[in-house]
Amino acid sequence: MRAGMGKYVVKRFFLMFPTLIGVAALIFFLMRVVPGDIVELRFAGESSFASKEQLAQERARFGLDRPLWRQFADWMWGLARLDFGRSMWTGAPITEEIKLRFALSLQLSIMATIVAVLLAIPLGVVAALRQDTWVDYVVRVFSIAGIATPSFWLGIVMILAMLIVFKWLPPMVYTPFWVNPWQNLLQLIWPALAVGYRYSAVATRMTRSAMLEVLREDYIRTARAKGLVQKLILSRHALKNAMLPVLTVVGIEFAFLMGGLVVTEQVFNLNGLGLLFVQAVAHRDYTLTQALVLLVAAVFVLVNFLMDLMYAWLDPRIRYR
Amino acid sequence: MAINAPIDAMADAADEVRGGWWAAILAFARRRSLGAFGALIVVVMLVVAVVAPFIAPYDPVAVDFSAMLARPSTQHWLGTDAFGRDVLSRLIFGSQTALLVGFGSALLGATMGAVLGVGSAYFGGKIDLYTQRLMDIFLSFPLIILALAIVAILGNKLPNLIMAITIPMIPRCALVIRSSALAIREMPYVDAARAAGFGHARIILRHMLPNVMAPYLIMVTAFLGQAILLEASLSFLGLGVQEPTASWGLMLRGAAVDFAETAPWMAIFPGLAISAAVFAFNLFGDSLRDALDPKLRTL
Repeated sequence: MRAGMGKYVVKRFFLMFPTLIGVAALIFFLMRVVPGDIVELRFAGESSFASKEQLAQERARFGLDRPLWRQFADWMWGLARLDFGRSMWTGAPITEEIKLRFALSLQLSIMATIVAVLLAIPLGVVAALRQDTWVDYVVRVFSIAGIATPSFWLGIVMILAMLIVFKWLPPMVYTPFWVNPWQNLLQLIWPALAVGYRYSAVATRMTRSAMLEVLREDYIRTARAKGLVQKLILSRHALKNAMLPVLTVVGIEFAFLMGGLVVTEQVFNLNGLGLLFVQAVAHRDYTLTQALVLLVAAVFVLVNFLMDLMYAWLDPRIRYR
Repeated sequence: MAINAPIDAMADAADEVRGGWWAAILAFARRRSLGAFGALIVVVMLVVAVVAPFIAPYDPVAVDFSAMLARPSTQHWLGTDAFGRDVLSRLIFGSQTALLVGFGSALLGATMGAVLGVGSAYFGGKIDLYTQRLMDIFLSFPLIILALAIVAILGNKLPNLIMAITIPMIPRCALVIRSSALAIREMPYVDAARAAGFGHARIILRHMLPNVMAPYLIMVTAFLGQAILLEASLSFLGLGVQEPTASWGLMLRGAAVDFAETAPWMAIFPGLAISAAVFAFNLFGDSLRDALDPKLRTL
């Protein structure tokens, strides 16, 4: 900890809130600019006939008959107390729905990140060291293929391969990690691999280009000139300095993992936040959709905050004000 | 390749001046064989999509209950699905959906993003600041989450689907274009146009937009692959293109998973088609980026 850091942390912390409020306002009003209103749309979407009274009743149930600013103020006040309101589809409190599924999605995200980092860093470093050789080309094609392959298809192919080759299927019922770690990992490792491979692609490319950049720095030449062995140059000088941009990419991708979970949880039949989001959209459950969108944005803003702190801490060249 | 890129790009540009478009294309193919390979797949896909009604052996929506889940054979080269529909024909027609949504949303998204980015850079000051803040908010969502949220609002008719994929792309393009446009704003010819008394719209559209062509083209190619992938993902989730329209993502939904063991062809070929298409667009886009603007980083 250096002088002034504490002040920076506090300032950066409070900078998160304008963005979050902006996100909340944007989602809230986007959901309400639709021609007609969400209650009508919901009933029209279910193609059932609803009388005027039914519509009015439904509107009153979700407080949609009140003025817009009141609705927004209520929603914000609820958010401040971590109360997202009730789901229009199940009627249950959204906070409960999220709490139920949070652990699974978080564990999956962490596992996918580990897979991605374990793939990306060695591959990226090797590709940079062997630039423009066949090793480099293989790694690059492998990583472009990772971006091109839909993770849900990769999941389907994995399940298919296990079925046909090993006549075995991963357990389909979710077991929490603390109940039976082995069973839990056996189930979650496959979606983690499917998401992690895709996720590693961008990180691999970043590692490669960051390494290429660092390897051309003067201090690497100095280290070589003074006769340091290659291994030490790599681990102590190059890798350490190339890791900052890689860390950024890994962080952003982690924040965006929800995008990958949305499709992968469907394939592996995992009842996580991604599946919840898809169900919310399919049922035109506006309250749940807006809560989950906000949650995704909140994760992104929080990860950004943590990364900025880490940067300030790791890179002494960064001056914080 | 990365290190030589600026030199290559200069050489490419020089070739272009000397021999026109055709020579530029040939030079691109020679220098960037991977990119040219990608472009080739793209061209084949485009041709297939255009002549789909003539080359598809069957009607893609024709149900044939006498040939349900048929293995690949001489009659059905890639087998049939749970409704007896020919997988190859559905793949061929699926390319129409993929390309329509892909080109539609990539062009729309990049164009709107470009106008917004150039406008934001041109006006500067408060307008620029507020536009950037708004873009930042949009950028805090993964593509698919925003697209799904828009589907939830608009519904999933095809034009709405294209819109849902377009909107998340706009801020990503605006960000890149704005940084290029900031430099162009300071160019003497923009000052000259202003001195000549041209309106804002004319300066933005006629003088500035043409000069951000390179990043614009790069964004379009980068978006094409993403848009196709996004359409496939949304359709796979049942929130994109609806049955019985042929779409690669939709083909992977439901029965493809249920019958994966007995009829794996249903699950394998559409996925290969998606991967090949996105792979091709990405290869081409990457090479185009290296050739046009090696400093630009797009993820």
